[in-house]
Amino acid sequence: MNPRTRRILELVLDNLVWFMLLFVLIIFSLFVPNYFQLGIFANIIEASSVLGVMSIGLALVIITGHMDLSVESVAALSAMTVGILFCSAGIGLGIVLSPEWLMVPVSLLAAIAVGGLVGTINGVLVVKLNMSAFIITLASYIWVRGLVLAVSGGRSAQDLAPAIRWFGIQRFLGLPLTAWIAITCFVVFSFILAKTPFGRHLVMIGGNQTATFRAGIRVNRNLILAFVMAGAIAGLAGWLLAIRTSGATANLGVGLLFNAFAAVVIGGVSLKGGVGSLPGVYAGVLLLSSINTAINLMGLPPTFTQVIHGLLVLAAVLLDTLKQAIRQKLA
Amino acid sequence: MTEALLDLQDIRKNYGAIEALKGVTFSIGMGEVVALLGDNGAGKSTLVKIISGGLEPTSGRILFEGKPFLARSPAEAKAAGIETVYQDLSLCTNVDVVANFFMGREITRKVLGIPVLDERAMEREVAKALADAGTRIPSLRANVEHLSGGQRQAIELNRFVHWGGKLVLLDEPFAALGVEQTRRGLDMIRQVAAQGIGVIIITHIMQQAFQVADRIVVIRQGVVAGDVPTSKTSPDAVIGMITGETLAGTGSAG
Repeated sequence: MNPRTRRILELVLDNLVWFMLLFVLIIFSLFVPNYFQLGIFANIIEASSVLGVMSIGLALVIITGHMDLSVESVAALSAMTVGILFCSAGIGLGIVLSPEWLMVPVSLLAAIAVGGLVGTINGVLVVKLNMSAFIITLASYIWVRGLVLAVSGGRSAQDLAPAIRWFGIQRFLGLPLTAWIAITCFVVFSFILAKTPFGRHLVMIGGNQTATFRAGIRVNRNLILAFVMAGAIAGLAGWLLAIRTSGATANLGVGLLFNAFAAVVIGGVSLKGGVGSLPGVYAGVLLLSSINTAINLMGLPPTFTQVIHGLLVLAAVLLDTLKQAIRQKLA
Repeated sequence: MTEALLDLQDIRKNYGAIEALKGVTFSIGMGEVVALLGDNGAGKSTLVKIISGGLEPTSGRILFEGKPFLARSPAEAKAAGIETVYQDLSLCTNVDVVANFFMGREITRKVLGIPVLDERAMEREVAKALADAGTRIPSLRANVEHLSGGQRQAIELNRFVHWGGKLVLLDEPFAALGVEQTRRGLDMIRQVAAQGIGVIIITHIMQQAFQVADRIVVIRQGVVAGDVPTSKTSPDAVIGMITGETLAGTGSAG
């Protein structure tokens, strides 16, 4: 094989999910009526912002070789916190700050702090007590959702303060600011993971934790930080969720966890750790979102979405195996 | 012998009721190569882990450069100048050669105050280090999982030569190497020692010990069973010390 074909092949393998996305978009544009519109594409990006942000945190933790099942519940708790503080109807307290824009950073900080706190608890328990992340975060998944139910009493908060909702309404280049926040998150965290020593260390910890410890990398500190980041990012996702629904309900975001897992796996992140990149995860999120949109446009019952998502995850895992086989030949 | 670089005094390590080390005492000078021999389970690896910061001794004193020293983590040992090459390789196979070479010591440049990996500078240094050592690896950007066992071990060895430090511990470093690579590895050890770095090498192969070491220390059942200059002993005598047929300290026999 000459070096050029090899390079091209590697490029395709590294960005397989982007090519899949492109392929799916072309197919849908050709065969689904009314699919090929700028408005539809904008909608795909818009609809994927909450899931996208949540997937970043999940991917970070999975790349280190661990797991965070709590991101969905954490997002719900953050959304409920924002809802209770700044909604004026339902269980909302309707706190008004002056000037009004002050509510934006305050609500954002509250959401991120709530998420970061749960993330810290997860991280410390997993790392210091050396317990399985799967079990610890499964527990968090349950107790955090329980907390949402407890503080809300099962009721909802509506009518989020307009100053905060502004982010969901105001558009820039055809996309609402919430979508731009998601895109910014992907850019920033992709950079951190690929270009900074901290990101490099996370990937290496996922590859061989013993080796990184022996090399003098502060493994425990980095792992706890990954969990804190996953929690804080989930908090941000919760903030976006509250804006999107203009409030919060007790069962807000149920099911997002599995979509996030699907996006992460489709995006090329290995559940064994050490493999994956965030741009790929974003492509995975967009892929899920474009399929949802197609199903809506075709007028199929939304129940089909689940079947297709499930098949897509299977396909992603199969593709990953295939990719490994091709790489083996390349080496 | 020159002034002691590392001085172990009566090092003991218990795992519950089991005494892995029952009072090990020996020292190594700057630029000296000491081969640490012993049967499986004699306590060699435990000793290495204590020096390199993976384990804390139950009792005993360690002097490094004349000062009391105790590494609580590999990071502390490294900071003091102790490098270790472990028996089971310490490479992350999911990243490339360059990333492994600089694991934990990445070269960065500040962009707006944020440390950013300087991939080009790192690649340059790795290429130079490998070329100097005569190691050929097809692509420095290939993930280590695609490299052969020998290439992986070569990366580890080149890594310690490059970083140097003051004391190097090698735990069975040539297990996966071919004849030619092993010879080159032994040369590397002599070069490193010539720079004034102390080298402790653990090996099972008597021939290697005699080729490279200035001194041979035999550990048997958790104590030093023999500590003799290589020139004043023979493989047969050393085997006797390892199996316990010869009395401790009578290494000059044979």
